[in-house]
Amino acid sequence: MAQSYYEFFCPVKMIAGHKALEHIPFELTAIGVSRPMIITDKGVRQVGLVDHVTNAFDGTDREVAAIFDDVPPDSSLKTVQAAAKAYRDQQCDAILAIGGGSVIDTAKGVNILVSEGGNDLTKYSGAHNLPKKLNPLFVVPTTAGTGSEATMVAVISDTEKETKLPFASYFLMPDAAILDPRMTLTLPPHITAMTAMDAMTHAVESYTCLSANPMSDAYASAAIRKISENLMDVMATPDNAQGRLELAQASTMAGAAFSNAMVGLVHSLGHALGAVCHLPHGLCMNLFLPYVLDYNKSVNGDKIADLLLPLAGADVYANTPQAQRADKAIAHLRQMRDELFERCNLPRTLKETGKVERSQIQQIAEKALDDGSIIYNPKEASLEDLIQVLEGAWE
Amino acid sequence: MKKHNITVGLEKAYVTTMMTIVGRALISASQYDDEVRREIAGMPTGYVLSMTVMPSGPGFTLRAEKDGSLTWLSNDTPADLTIRFKHLEHAFMVFSFQESTSRAFANDRMIADGEVSQAIRLVRCLNKLESIILPKVVAKLAVKRYPEKLAVGEKFSKALRIYAGVTQQIVKGR
Repeated sequence: MAQSYYEFFCPVKMIAGHKALEHIPFELTAIGVSRPMIITDKGVRQVGLVDHVTNAFDGTDREVAAIFDDVPPDSSLKTVQAAAKAYRDQQCDAILAIGGGSVIDTAKGVNILVSEGGNDLTKYSGAHNLPKKLNPLFVVPTTAGTGSEATMVAVISDTEKETKLPFASYFLMPDAAILDPRMTLTLPPHITAMTAMDAMTHAVESYTCLSANPMSDAYASAAIRKISENLMDVMATPDNAQGRLELAQASTMAGAAFSNAMVGLVHSLGHALGAVCHLPHGLCMNLFLPYVLDYNKSVNGDKIADLLLPLAGADVYANTPQAQRADKAIAHLRQMRDELFERCNLPRTLKETGKVERSQIQQIAEKALDDGSIIYNPKEASLEDLIQVLEGAWE
Repeated sequence: MKKHNITVGLEKAYVTTMMTIVGRALISASQYDDEVRREIAGMPTGYVLSMTVMPSGPGFTLRAEKDGSLTWLSNDTPADLTIRFKHLEHAFMVFSFQESTSRAFANDRMIADGEVSQAIRLVRCLNKLESIILPKVVAKLAVKRYPEKLAVGEKFSKALRIYAGVTQQIVKGR
């Protein structure tokens, strides 16, 4: 057996709970920030979520110096450059990102440019290409799924070259993540479901893939428990503020887990399906999760078996013989997906998406084979294996 | 202290030798194994890939040709993809088959600087190469899954040709 080794890094300050937003002015003052710029998108601004944050500055000696709300659904180099210009024009000294994955990744890209100088983001692409700590970055997530507020990565599209540039550096970790239930309270049901299952997948893959370690396992299993215990309640009563907060915390915990333990084949297939058929990431995660666990089970059934406890609770776990726990954990995830399908039609199979042709399976498999996350999957997967998993997920 | 220095020196010599053998064996495998050849052909023509140990080697640098073969380059050639072991000891563990390439990635023993998808291809080539040239019992430690379809006869004949190719390259200094 290989001798164990791991690394775990998560310096993000968590500011979570009731009236958490009102802590932002103090936290900014404490690190000497006087002119923060908000980066967000128009949708987030229109539904009044930015107002929650700006209102938190009322009655304090701090104010928001600028708001950039032009972030598209896929962050791009041009958007990053435009936001960096706004930051410089307004002489800002910190970024407050309010939004989902695209906004957070854009903010990380902007922070590279305004901290390092220049306008060429591409030279910092890749792993560990940032030489020093960046300017302060605070993140207020408005979805409970990506976990980007606790990760050291960002992906920015180069729309001219039609490629996605990955950035990975310890310095991309935000300084703080602010989790306030007001920020996710109005998420529509299908987005709530998709993003929660995205977070669930981050946690499950962190726990079951090659880089899993005791620290990431602790975050991952706690995230799984929170999602399992709260998702259906939130789907039934969307204004359940405490449930929303639990999901937001789960998403951040899953982010901390997968930023350190990485993800595996669900993500390889999900990235490929998303690229080929233009389907949302969370939908792809929900779709492939049980099929990949079934595939991996012969190699890491013991780890999958562990998941039954946070997924189904102590009674079910205790009443299930060890040999059946992995299957029961997978069955529990399938049951969750069935319920989400009934509530908001979140697809469980490729056919149910209505946007995938069976003839595209070969293309999806070929793309998944070269995805970076496949190396962290515990079980080797050949092209034939991927086609088999995809065929299994057809209907 | 002295004993430690000798150990480091021996490890460096071993890793240098193994880097030379593995780099040149990849060239031979790209000529004799269809799977490796297909992987290399999937890379952009002229793509330069390098595997090295921080801070200054040893290592090898190869270029992917249009037909799926590989060419040996000097180590000062700028590479499109560089896989860097963080420490000599990490490279020693991989090349002495104490840790598989995938496990080394998972354990953050090395950094891939370049397109990740090409790094994945290179790892698959290394896996296939190790499956061919190493005794099955050792190869099983070095790869996640030993290829079920690799018959003893095929393994033996390919390994023979790869080792002959490596010897020939070293003798001819190519």
